[in-house]
Amino acid sequence: MCAQKPPAGHFTILYFASASSYTRKQHDFFSGPLPISKLPDLLEERYSGIKEKVLGSCALTVNLDYVDMEEEAAKAEQCLVVQEGDEVAIIPPVSSG
Amino acid sequence: MTEATAADSGDGNSFSARLFEGEKFLSEEDVYVSLTYDELDAKAMMDRVKSPKAGAVVLFAGCTRDSFAGETVTHLAYSSYPPLALRTLQKIARSIREKHELVAIAITHRLGKVDIGEESILIAVSSAHRQAAWKAGEECLEEVKEKVEVWKEEWFADGGVWRANRDGQAGVRV
Repeated sequence: MCAQKPPAGHFTILYFASASSYTRKQHDFFSGPLPISKLPDLLEERYSGIKEKVLGSCALTVNLDYVDMEEEAAKAEQCLVVQEGDEVAIIPPVSSG
Repeated sequence: MTEATAADSGDGNSFSARLFEGEKFLSEEDVYVSLTYDELDAKAMMDRVKSPKAGAVVLFAGCTRDSFAGETVTHLAYSSYPPLALRTLQKIARSIREKHELVAIAITHRLGKVDIGEESILIAVSSAHRQAAWKAGEECLEEVKEKVEVWKEEWFADGGVWRANRDGQAGVRV
């Protein structure tokens, strides 16, 4: 998907559609490992307003599997940890067809 | 709504830039799904599902429309997360085939810029008898529109919006 591999100690995050318009990018590399529940705040730091304007209506995948963010947040310390080299994606509401 | 303005559009748009050439597909016996930036080929899709066991082939072609809520659409562009979209297409195709006891099913979705009136999606299904094929074709399209990770940008004279199938709302500015 993203042609470039993340640098050592980083994972890739992909932006599509409205997420891509908001960040004005198609991807970023963030340093990992990172507990998934910390990702929204990290994105908010970099892209002020993204939580409310974009993430609220989006789903999230890690290595092509959907992650239930509420469930992960509830697990606190035991939540899924994004590893170095992983591919995370922000998935806005789809409009195929 | 973002404050972002429509910086560029259509062919030069980074959102709809080609990620691959030709066709990306997942193929197993009697279940075929693909994505392509090229024009879709209805005959080729029908041929994929034809069989001596099938008395009915139903082909659905979704075409791009020139208006949304009365406003003129100049062109459309589709972007995708190809590996995930293919996986989702395959899941849908497998389950529709099983549920309606189809002989075969094939789905292809076009990406990138699509001119008005051209096909953006083709669904071909075959079954022993017509009723199952009609039902399966319709149900398949609804599932695809709800789930497959493809995003449509509709471009109007004053800029573009990201459409979202689930709400039918005015969309988010590109």
